[in-house]
Parts: sequence; C-alpha cells; structure tokens
Amino acid sequence: MFRFQSLDEDCTLEEEEGGLVEEEDEIDQFNDDTFGAGAIDDDWQEEHKRLSGLEEHKINARGGAGSVTAGGAAGDASSVHLPPPAGHLPSPSSLPQSQHSSQPPPGLDEQGGGDLADALAMLILGTDPAIARACGPVGPGDRSRGLPAPSSLPQHLHPQQHPHQLPSGLPHPSLLSYQQHQHLLRQGAAPMPQMNSHNIWESNMGFGPVSISPGLVTHMEDNPLLSIIKEVGLPTRPPPMMSEDGRDLSERAPPPRSSSPVIGSPPVRAVPIGTPPKQPMNHAMNHHHQQQQIHHPTAIHIRAPVHHRYPPPFPERLSPNTLLNIANSPLCRPPFGPVLSQLQRAQMLNSQVAGFPRGCRGPPLLPGGGGFRPFFGQLPPHRMGPPPNHLACPVFRHNTTHLHPQHRRILTQRMQSRGEDRGGHMGDRRSRDPYSNLMTQREKEWVAKIQMMQLQSTDPYLDDYYYQNYFEKLEKKQERDRDSVRKEHTTKLITPQVAKLEHTYRPVQFAGSLGKLTVSSVNNPRKMIDAVVTSRVDDEEKREKQVWNKRRQILYTVEKMYSLLLEVQDFEKRFMQTPEEEQEALLEQHKTQTLQLYGSLREKEWDDRVSDDQCLLIMSVRKGKRLISRLLPFLPPPQAAAVVMGIARNLPTLAKKDRQDQELCCLVEPVITVVSSLSSTVLTDLLQELQGSDGQLPRVLQNKFGVTLLYLILSEGERMQSSDSNCQLMDDNRWTELVFSVTRELLNVAPSSLSPPFFTPPNLLSLFSRYVDRQRLEQLQEKLQISALSR
Amino acid sequence: MNYMPGTASLIDDIDKKHLVLLRDGRTLIGFLRSIDQFANLVFHQTVERIHVGKKFGDIPRGIFIVRGENVVLLGEIDMDKPCDTILQQVSIEEILEEQRLQQQAKQETEKAKVTALKDRGLSIPKADNLDEY
Repeated sequence: MFRFQSLDEDCTLEEEEGGLVEEEDEIDQFNDDTFGAGAIDDDWQEEHKRLSGLEEHKINARGGAGSVTAGGAAGDASSVHLPPPAGHLPSPSSLPQSQHSSQPPPGLDEQGGGDLADALAMLILGTDPAIARACGPVGPGDRSRGLPAPSSLPQHLHPQQHPHQLPSGLPHPSLLSYQQHQHLLRQGAAPMPQMNSHNIWESNMGFGPVSISPGLVTHMEDNPLLSIIKEVGLPTRPPPMMSEDGRDLSERAPPPRSSSPVIGSPPVRAVPIGTPPKQPMNHAMNHHHQQQQIHHPTAIHIRAPVHHRYPPPFPERLSPNTLLNIANSPLCRPPFGPVLSQLQRAQMLNSQVAGFPRGCRGPPLLPGGGGFRPFFGQLPPHRMGPPPNHLACPVFRHNTTHLHPQHRRILTQRMQSRGEDRGGHMGDRRSRDPYSNLMTQREKEWVAKIQMMQLQSTDPYLDDYYYQNYFEKLEKKQERDRDSVRKEHTTKLITPQVAKLEHTYRPVQFAGSLGKLTVSSVNNPRKMIDAVVTSRVDDEEKREKQVWNKRRQILYTVEKMYSLLLEVQDFEKRFMQTPEEEQEALLEQHKTQTLQLYGSLREKEWDDRVSDDQCLLIMSVRKGKRLISRLLPFLPPPQAAAVVMGIARNLPTLAKKDRQDQELCCLVEPVITVVSSLSSTVLTDLLQELQGSDGQLPRVLQNKFGVTLLYLILSEGERMQSSDSNCQLMDDNRWTELVFSVTRELLNVAPSSLSPPFFTPPNLLSLFSRYVDRQRLEQLQEKLQISALSR
Repeated sequence: MNYMPGTASLIDDIDKKHLVLLRDGRTLIGFLRSIDQFANLVFHQTVERIHVGKKFGDIPRGIFIVRGENVVLLGEIDMDKPCDTILQQVSIEEILEEQRLQQQAKQETEKAKVTALKDRGLSIPKADNLDEY
C-alpha cells in the first residue's frame, strides 16, 4: 500500500523532492532486478541537473535550434525538424541528440507531466530523421491515408491537457501514418509500437494484480514517463557531440552492467562462450579485478593462456579503452577446445617466421604461452608516426597449422600480392574515416577465435574431405606441371588433430548406499543397455549348425529340381503351342532338361547309377518325396527302377522318417506304374531288396507303404506268371524262395504289426495258392483279409 | 590481413562499405563497423535503398544493427570502381510512391488470381502458412 501513497506524493514533483528520495529507497530494493544497479546508487537529480545544464548550455550556444521555454517545447521539435542540414550522414546522429536534449529539460523544469509526455512522445515518434526530413516539408495531407486512429492517439495521450497542445500534435499524424505506411508495406498490419510502449508503461507500474483507482489512472496518464524517470533515473547519455569526428564515439563508455543482482541467482563466475571481451574502464582499479576475473574456471576445456596481441604503435586516434587494453591485461579467455601443444609449437614456429613491424614495441610474449599471434593489419589502422612502407607485406601467419601446406603457400602469396597492391591507398582512406576501429583488435580476435574453434577437428578427412582432397590434387598437379625437384612438397599432410581428452567422469558415490547415483549429462551419457556380444562355441551348436546346413542344402537341391521338373512337365503344353519350326528346338530343350534332372539324382558324375544317398536325402524331405513321385514318370525305365530299388532297399529308414509326414503314399501311384513295367529279373531283385537284410521284412510289413509295395510286387509276379506261361520268373528259384519267405513271414507276423495296405491287389490269393497249402492259405486269407477270389 | 586464413570471415570487411540484403527484402548500404560470431552486423551511416524498376531512392537510416539470421547476402562495395549503372536516383517521396504503386499493383493481381482460382474451386495457400509441412 505504501506504493500507492508514494505515487500520490510523487505526482507533484516540484514540491516534494525530498520525500521522493525516501520512498524511492524502499521501492528500489525490489526493483533492483529490473532497473539495474544504476537505479539505486545515483542521485538522479544531480545527474539530471548536470546533464540538463550541459545540454542547455549547448543548445544556447547553438543559438538557433529553438528556445527552451515551455510553450516552445512542441514548436521546438517541429522547428528542429524543418531545417534539415544538407549533408546527411553525420547529422542524423546529431539531430536526435538535439531532440533528446531539448525535450526533457523543459518538461521537467517547467510545466511538468503534460509537456514531458508530449515531448517524449515526439521524441519517440519523430526520431526517424529520414522520415522527419522527408515528411517535414510535406503537409499531413499526403499521408492521411493512414488509419484514423493515429489522429486520435495524441488526443488519447493527453485527454485533459490544454487544447493548445493539439496543434503541436499535428505532426504526429503525419509521422505516424508514414511509419504505419511503411509497416503496412512490410507487414500488412498497422502496429503502433510507440503508442504501445506508452501503454505498457501505463499499465505496468508495478501494480500488477492490484486494481487501479481512476484517480490514480489520470495521474498515471499524466506522468507515465515522469514516474519512470523517477524510478529509473535518467539513462546515461552519450557525451554530447562536440564535433563531427569520431573521437567521442570511441571514447564512449559502455553502460554499466549489473552482473549479479543481490536477490536471486548466485553471482556468475564462469563466462559463457558467447561473451564479448570486456572493455576495461579504469586501469588502476580494474587491473586486479580483471586478473581475478579472467582466471575463472571454465567447464571442461583447457584454455591455452592466450596472450595479448601487439599494440598498434603510436596510433593517433587511440581511444582510452584500447590504450588500456594494450597497457595491461592479458586477454580474456574466450573458450577454446583443448588446444594442443602442437598448436603452441606452431605458434613458436610462426614467431620465428613472422617479421616484426618496425616502430613497434616488442611484444611481451608470455612464457609458455601459445595462443594466437596478434593480428596485425597490413597497415596499421591509423597512420603511424613514420609511415611504414616496409610494412607492406608482413609475413605474419595466424595459426595456419590446420591448413594444408599447399593452401598455406597460396595464402601467403595472395597476401603478399594484395599487400603490394593496396599498400598505398588503404592507409589514407582509413585515416580519413573517423569511425574506424570501433571494433577493437581484441574484439576481432575474439570473434576469430570463436570461429577457429569450430574448425578444430579430430579427423580432418572425415570433417573436411573435399578440402583435403582438393589441395592434394592441387599439389599433385603442380608437381606434374613443374616436374619439380622440390621433393619436399610431397610430404605428408600435417593436420593438427585435437587431442581427444578422455574425461572419464565418475559420479559421486556415497559409501554404504545402495546403487550409484544416476547422473548423466551430454559429456557423460548414461549407459542404457549392457549389450555384450557372446558367441557360443559349443560342439552341439556346431553339430546343429551342420545339420541345418545340410538340410538347407537338400532343400535347395529339391527346389532346383522342382523348377526343372516343372519345365519338363509343361513340355507337352508348350509343344502343342509352339509352331512347327520351333518344335525341334523345344524338343532339344526338353531333352536337356530331363537329362539335367537325372543328373541331379546322380551323386557322382562317373557313375551312371542313381545314387542312393542323394535319393535318400531328397526323400528325407517331405517336398522331396513329392518331387520323386512326380519325377518318376519322366525317368527312363532303368533309372526309375533304380529309384524304386533304392526306395525298397531303404524302406525302413524311409518309413521311420516318414512317420510324421505320411507322405509315402504319394509314391504309390508312380511306383505302381514302375513296377508294372519291370522285367522279371528286376522284379525279383526288387523283391529281394525289399526283403533285404534280416528283420527288414517285418519292419516293411509294419509300414503301409511297405506292405503295399510288397503286394504290388507279388501281384506283379503273379500276373507275370499267370499271363505268360513261359516267363522267366521261375527260371531261377529266387522268386519262389522269396515268395516262400514272404509267406512265412506273413504267417508269423502278429496281426497287430501288420498294417493294412493302401490297396490289395486281387490276384494275391492266386499267388499264394501256388505256393502254400490250403491250411496256410486260409490263414493268410484271414490275416490279410483277402477275399476269396474265384480262380 | 590474415584473420582466419582459408575461411570466409567478416573480420576483413570491417570498416568497409557494404551492401546487405535482408530476408524481408530490404537493401541496406553502410559501413560495417562490428560483427560477432553469429554474423550480427552493426552498420554505420546506413542507407536503405529502395528499388522500383529502374529508379531507386535512398533513405538515410543512421546506425543499424542487423541480427545475423536475417541476412541473405552481404557484399563489399568497391569505392574505386566507377558507377555506371542505368539506375536513376530519385527523391525519397517519389520512390516511396513508386513502391506503393508497385505493391498495390501486385496486390491487385494477387487478388485477381485468388478470386479466379476460387471461382474454379482451387486455392493456393500462402507460403507463410506452410511452416508445418
């Protein structure tokens, strides 16, 4: 609540200046953050009086820029607008000065708030000198296309002011509308930034949530800027421009900064990377201070202590700042990456190479200091005492270690040639430019350093591939061209590599605690997954792998054969479709394909027989069985017979493998065809194979397919016998013996282990009847459930 | 001057007269006084040059500080080279008037285009709305 009171009291400024100060102390404690250190300490009134006195004096000295009386405040501004000096460039900076200077004193000293507000509005609005000059002579009529709002705004500003103020506001609409005009062009909207700033101040007088009584509002409206000034104090003005040369500019002091407010964050010590170098204000005071400040710790990087550059000797127009810089302190340390010893070595190298400009003080090089060579212009920025023509080509090399040697050479050549060309001109020109060297040497170095930092790389070939390659090519070309004797150019490229410093950061561990602190940062990322590569070297693993490999191979073979088979199968169709002349070719193709098929069944090339193993392998795969079944019709009889033989021979194993799939049934049909075309001897052989070793037959009988095959064989034999009276089946006794053994087996085997066949050929009974007696026949009949056939 | 050999750096451009083109289309001419690592520029005795057709006009602006990201291109002006352009300098009012007319004409054509498209049921969104794509 006391703030309210203070404002009330503050309204009438002239009366209670003392009271003002007291209140101010209480307020400013809180506002310190916002308004900076300058707000508390300065006695603004003294400051203001001093400044206003100065400026008044100046204005009176000018004697023409307008009287500084109350009524003339506004007229002042307009009169200042109208006579624009012809020469543009230095004067715009002086024009706002005069405006600045003319406005506040009258406002504060005489009529108070209204005038001040008005004057400051003029100031803010009319600062654009170009526009002022441009619009001055032209009346407001031209620009009336501005929004109607502007004309009402000045009225809004001082609603209760004297009406005679309004004519002074007339330039406002024109100015405003011009500005808005510009904005319209650019943004298509019509903001009124200056007006807004007023409003901001009005509404945010530190009263945020508190509602404002209307009485206070008027007061505030009257003196928005006044109260600002009371609280803030006048900003430090740049020293008044006495003349047009730039001496004053370079002596200008940067505004005091409060770096650590009392309330709030702890004082900042580490200077972040983007901070420009400080301008030391006062040598004696700050030297010690600076020393302390400079040696602050920086995050991770190691800083090479960079020494200050050479001072430009005897400059005529040296600002006190630069002088101070020269005189004392080492450079502030903008952050670098870990700068290598190689860099420092390079510096030493450079120092030997570089020539010192004469007339210059010897550079105080810090011992053990690397750091960059001071930048030295081709000519000093200002004319020195003795004009140094011999300085035309300094051989300073600023840290070119990272450059390709070829590049370096080119650069030096270029520099020298440039130096020779421009030696004469630039010095003169530079000396005539009063504003030169606003950016001090130190600042330039600082910027360059930041940019250099980005060039450091651990792997130049990775980061800058094309650069490296280009210069290598250039080198080679030059060698080729000159056919040079200078072999040293073919030296390997020396690229500085930033040392990769391993910062193993171990987070703080507390004794006795369970687990570690999870601390992760950019430089120390947390390990999220503990992925470890393990390779199992078990034998079992190997075996499994082998098995799998083999299976894969079989499958592969099967697939290949399938594709061939499909081609062969499609042959008929295609044959029908192709025209006459191509049929031959197709036939040929067909033949080759079938040959290929047979070939794939053979394991060894020299052996024409079908390989058992291969067939078996194929048969072990489900798909392989189907393949064989489809393949069999296409095989020539001997091959087919061989296949069937193989099957018969290995039936037990096949049967065992087939237990899950039960795919052998697909073989039945083709086998029937094959068997029926067999000759007697082959048949006998087949039967023999089927019986095979001891104990095979029972196993055969267990399997459906086996039984079927057996029956097939027997029935075939029977057919042969019955059909052809002098068949050779009976020539040797094998057949009979075999049949006998089969019969025996059939009789002995238990019914449970005899699996029913796929089908029973009809003539079995007649077969058996030849060889066995009636009793056994009946038994067989029962067992095999052969229906009695008529003979 | 061997600042940053082999690189493009603005340090050597300091205190020279430059022409800079900004992202909003403005052309500024002035003496480059100061830079920083973001290529923020401080221009002195700046002049904004407005070009309309073959005419141009200069508006003196004083000191300009340009944020680096808004710079499209920047080039040094060679003071020695003779200036033999066909461009004709006019007064500020005139050039502003010309610019206004140009803008107006452009807006009108744009408007006509939009209405024509609308009649046909099409719409071309303005470029500034396309940020999300």
